[in-house]
Amino acid sequence: MEFSLLGAAAAGLAGMYVVLRWEAGGGNAAESTRSLWDLLLTAAIVGLVVGRVASMLGGGTNPLTHPGDILIVRGGVDTRTAAAAALLTAVVVARRNLMPRLDAAAPAALAGLAGWQAGCLARGACLGTPTGLPWGMPQPGSAIGRHPVELYAALLLVVGVVALMAWKRRRPPPGTITGVALGWAGAVRLVTEPLRLGIGGGPEWWYGAGIALGCAVAAWGFLRRRTEPDGPAQP
Amino acid sequence: MTLRRRWRILLAALAIGAAACSSASVPIEGIPPLEATTPAAIRALLAESQQPVVLNVWASWCTPCRSEAPLLRDAAAQAAGKVRFVGIDVRDQQDGARRFIAEFGLDGFEHYFDETGAVPADLGGVGVPLTFFFAPGGELIAAHRGVIDERTLALQIDELLRIEG
Repeated sequence: MEFSLLGAAAAGLAGMYVVLRWEAGGGNAAESTRSLWDLLLTAAIVGLVVGRVASMLGGGTNPLTHPGDILIVRGGVDTRTAAAAALLTAVVVARRNLMPRLDAAAPAALAGLAGWQAGCLARGACLGTPTGLPWGMPQPGSAIGRHPVELYAALLLVVGVVALMAWKRRRPPPGTITGVALGWAGAVRLVTEPLRLGIGGGPEWWYGAGIALGCAVAAWGFLRRRTEPDGPAQP
Repeated sequence: MTLRRRWRILLAALAIGAAACSSASVPIEGIPPLEATTPAAIRALLAESQQPVVLNVWASWCTPCRSEAPLLRDAAAQAAGKVRFVGIDVRDQQDGARRFIAEFGLDGFEHYFDETGAVPADLGGVGVPLTFFFAPGGELIAAHRGVIDERTLALQIDELLRIEG
């Protein structure tokens, strides 16, 4: 991985760590911090590798005959498969106490995403479509102001993190924090996507699917609460 | 069936699937030998171009070049008629170069053979891969060293098209 990407990855990890530490003994049980960190880290690494392999296959490169290519993350990571793989990994790792653990990890996961997006400053990849707005940022050597779209996304994700942390202290039904976090991540991506520049068609439908899944999980949590009057278990 | 055995079967199926998914995009027989070039010839090509040019320096032995090749292929297809894509294959062998072009379906843009690597050196670049962005007439707008990612490539092409407009 190139140094600029390592910088973005470090920002993502820092975001996760800060929120986990912040919530220790508050929104989460203090002794759960280590296991939640392991869960998030495992999900992030699996997601990154699976997304990279999917990108290689999509581009026509066989990962079996060119395993070294997997490390060249800048060459592309398929967002859809990476997100699905990370989510599936989190579900498998947290399966023994699924919803409470996912709820405990969800704000930190959003913070990790926010850190990764803000890491565009290290990667030199913050800018999107042109804009005449006063905060538009030009490329070095260019006079064209552009939306700092990755920073918009990071800011919106941070808003989600703060809201979820506050809501979590009110002990909502299990699953609802996870559902809302998932839906929020999908929504942030969907609303910022028109401001991004890319090659080929964007996978907007996938972000819509993420929002729908998040809504379904949150609704399931609320409905389940009606039939189980006990409060959520601590992770 | 034990859980471990199920995982092994799943991994084997994924490996077979991966191998099946990746194949040469175009037949190598359809790829002619690359035309040799010089720094002066490339300078002339850039100066005469009516369109902005994305010039990518690559080699078949270069692992990072493999990583960005699909992206460049897709970008060339998307910007066809608006941006000219030129590939410079450096310090390579003709057979390897043709295999690389066939494998990634890079026959959609023009490629030149630079046996000594004199062209990127003349343009001020070191190593591979390199991607240069030129305005019509040959003015260098930007240079990217190393693997180029989707956002950077899309951004630089957008800048080129706006300069042209």
